[in-house]
Amino acid sequence: MIRLLLIELYKIFRRPRTYISFGVVTATSLIFQLAMKAGGREFFEFGMQDISEQFNIQGNIINGYLVAYLILQSLLIQIPLLVALVAGDALAGEANGGTLRLILTRPVSRTRLVMIKFMASSIYTIMLIVWLAVMALFLSLLVFGDGDMINLKSETFILLLKHDVMWRYACAFGFACLAMTTIASLSMLLSAFADNSIGPIIATMGIVVVFTILSNLELPLFTAINPYLFTSHMVGWKGFFDADVPYRAIGKSAMVLFLYTSGFLAATILYFNKKDITS
Amino acid sequence: MIRVLAFVFTLFLLPFTTMASDAQELYLTLRSKVLAVKDYTADVRVLIDVSYMQIPTLEGILYYKAPDKVKMVRKDGISMLPKKNISLTLGSLIPSGGVTVLDAGTATIKGHNLRILKVIPDDDKTGIVLTRIWVDEAALLAYRTETTTRDEGTVVLDLEYGSYARYALPDKVSITMDVKEYKLPKGATMDYSEAPGTPKKPVAAGGKNEKGRIDITYLSYKVNKGLSDSIFADKDK
Repeated sequence: MIRLLLIELYKIFRRPRTYISFGVVTATSLIFQLAMKAGGREFFEFGMQDISEQFNIQGNIINGYLVAYLILQSLLIQIPLLVALVAGDALAGEANGGTLRLILTRPVSRTRLVMIKFMASSIYTIMLIVWLAVMALFLSLLVFGDGDMINLKSETFILLLKHDVMWRYACAFGFACLAMTTIASLSMLLSAFADNSIGPIIATMGIVVVFTILSNLELPLFTAINPYLFTSHMVGWKGFFDADVPYRAIGKSAMVLFLYTSGFLAATILYFNKKDITS
Repeated sequence: MIRVLAFVFTLFLLPFTTMASDAQELYLTLRSKVLAVKDYTADVRVLIDVSYMQIPTLEGILYYKAPDKVKMVRKDGISMLPKKNISLTLGSLIPSGGVTVLDAGTATIKGHNLRILKVIPDDDKTGIVLTRIWVDEAALLAYRTETTTRDEGTVVLDLEYGSYARYALPDKVSITMDVKEYKLPKGATMDYSEAPGTPKKPVAAGGKNEKGRIDITYLSYKVNKGLSDSIFADKDK
């Protein structure tokens, strides 16, 4: 099992496209940090207009914690794409390369093959999140320093003391790993249906974009389905930045994501076991 | 007959003019006591209670220099204070310059028998329209001020005194003020909803302003030691 997993990881990290994701995370973080260094205070004060009119806020507002949060926020849509780049290629890439049938001639069950590919995709996803933590959080702390963190929600202004922030990031990145694993499992499922990897990658992104829009539209028609969309729960990491962390809600979101992941994975195994492999 | 009427009229008005004169004198004495503090440095604990704000108790050092310079500093931290025009110092909420002072009766607050003064500034450059001050005549301390400003609503200061009463410096100040509502587009913040699909709470009726409260506890003071203006420069901007 370990050997097969290592082979899958070797295949993932041998492909140049894998490193596109790490490059995108690096570039986005650096661009954001540069922009915040140049005019972060003005940018943030625009968002705080209502507060600044009434309160005099002083101190290191644009610090590493805030910049990291803004980077994570901006990467909400991009990270699923980067995960899909690899997970969407897991089965479809083999089919497209004509190696899937060859692999299945080996004494490895289809279920085990799917599980190994899912595990390899998950490890890639976790490594991407860890890299995101390095670039977005640790580099920002190095450049901007630390301090109390301001979190602007649509109807709430939150101030977190600096000694109370790092553990929240640890939990948030942990939650992000879970959320992105759900995306990996969705991509795997779509990958099982396809014979080339472009389709699953685009389909994954399409689903994420449409569901994200539905999650954010507060129209009565959509609010009824919001609790059932995994995109509504993917932003659960933000809950760790509330003054009083809504553990129950985050736990529920984590459970929903886990169920989605299990469901996607089970559907992949079920379909892949019955699939007629012709390539 | 006219002389008699004039005499009676004068007798009737005399107490009021004497009261106004007393009130004016009391106010000026109080003001000179408050303004005797040229500067101070204080260790403070600030608690902000505004419905849309979630802020823990902030501890820091508060610098004040007459007439209106105030700055709070927290080591490596962010400080928040109400803006200058609704400043938290008694000195800036007591109108300076020419004023008309009226006696508005008496009241009891927390066991203190207080005299209420209505102070109307002769000019409105400070933005203060009217200030009501609840004064302990014997101790010469203001226990409450209610200041109506031109642009920023009404600010109420409730003060408690301790060991620095001789400087008219409080141990605790509770500021009640009007705060404007705060809102950002949800599409920009992409909030996490604890209960997705739950209808939004209806916006409270009654306009866009609500009351906010800020409690400042002064733990210690250093009074009139001399403060440089450079302390009040905003180095973060």
